[in-house]
Amino acid sequence: MSTPMSVEAIERLASQATVAAWLRAYDAHWEVSQSDAEVRAKLEVLARFCLTCGKEPDELVGWLFRETPEGPRIRLKRRRQVMALIEGFEREHGGRSAGNVVRSFLIHNGVALSAAPLR
Amino acid sequence: MEFKQVVGRRRSIRYYLPFRPVEREKVQVVLEAARLSSRAVNADFVQAVVVNRDDLADEDRESLKTPTTTAQLDLAPVWIFWLIDPTAPRIGQTSLKQLVDVGALTPSHGWSHAYVDNVVWPQVLQPILADPGTAMLVAAVEAGLAINQALLAAVDEGLGTQLTALNATNAKRILGIPDHLVPIWIQLLGYPAEDPEAGGQRPRSPFEQIYFEGRYGHPFERDEMVVEQLKGDGMIMPEAPYPWRKDEVRALSRMFGLPE
Repeated sequence: MSTPMSVEAIERLASQATVAAWLRAYDAHWEVSQSDAEVRAKLEVLARFCLTCGKEPDELVGWLFRETPEGPRIRLKRRRQVMALIEGFEREHGGRSAGNVVRSFLIHNGVALSAAPLR
Repeated sequence: MEFKQVVGRRRSIRYYLPFRPVEREKVQVVLEAARLSSRAVNADFVQAVVVNRDDLADEDRESLKTPTTTAQLDLAPVWIFWLIDPTAPRIGQTSLKQLVDVGALTPSHGWSHAYVDNVVWPQVLQPILADPGTAMLVAAVEAGLAINQALLAAVDEGLGTQLTALNATNAKRILGIPDHLVPIWIQLLGYPAEDPEAGGQRPRSPFEQIYFEGRYGHPFERDEMVVEQLKGDGMIMPEAPYPWRKDEVRALSRMFGLPE
């Protein structure tokens, strides 16, 4: 069982630009207002994934893009690496719902990806 | 289903019942509809390969995906790979004379075997074939006509359907597609897991903004009585989003374990 994150750690994570953007975009898209408990639960999952991949959220999103004169472009090879990491993460840390927290974070930061549907 | 209802109810369906197979007869109906579309030179600008999702190896299926073409490929049980043939007019000299012979192209409109041989073939079709950009442009339009009939036929058969992007290089490798053909779309077929109205008709530009009368920029004025008639006929339906659409999509996401 994982150790609950401290308030400071949660606040530090939430203060990262990509995390704030994700939470804002999620609420706006789904027309919801997530409770503090829901947000905290998601941040704990995201924090565990960040430990797994060794990158903070802003760093992870930045690593997935490269700057070009036409604007940021997704790095497809790295995207595939992250997709595989998420699959491994969800096998070991909480299943599909945990993996989808990470996918949601990336999707709302402009990294298009999905998961194999459960069928 | 009435034609206007078919047009009105067509949506790009992105959630399918993965366990419900599509009857082979319905797949054939879709292909038959495409075969009978309007087409220049009476040439085969489009061909297709039908694939059952579960007949593909996992690795091959994954390799056909693009960043936003993901879960729907896993959900739809039947895929039609539509292939464009920019070399299709190469049969034009023969196919046009056949159209003369069957009474489709008539002398009263100036058509004859001699006109095909001496004018159309050397002055129209050969130049098109010699210019890859023009050949592709022509082929894309002609293929689009056929593919649209396939989409409408699928709706008429009570299926969900959608055109979806693909990795064309991998499609050619996996399916053994000849070099001169270009995989352009996968048409998915399956029974919808979402409401067939998929949250409403998609927003469109205002009618008068894109259709003109007499000269460009002079709007073709829309008669509201016609609009009301088409609403009654089921061709014009309420525009997306229906108030419950986001709840529906969230429920589908959770049912299939997809991200939100």
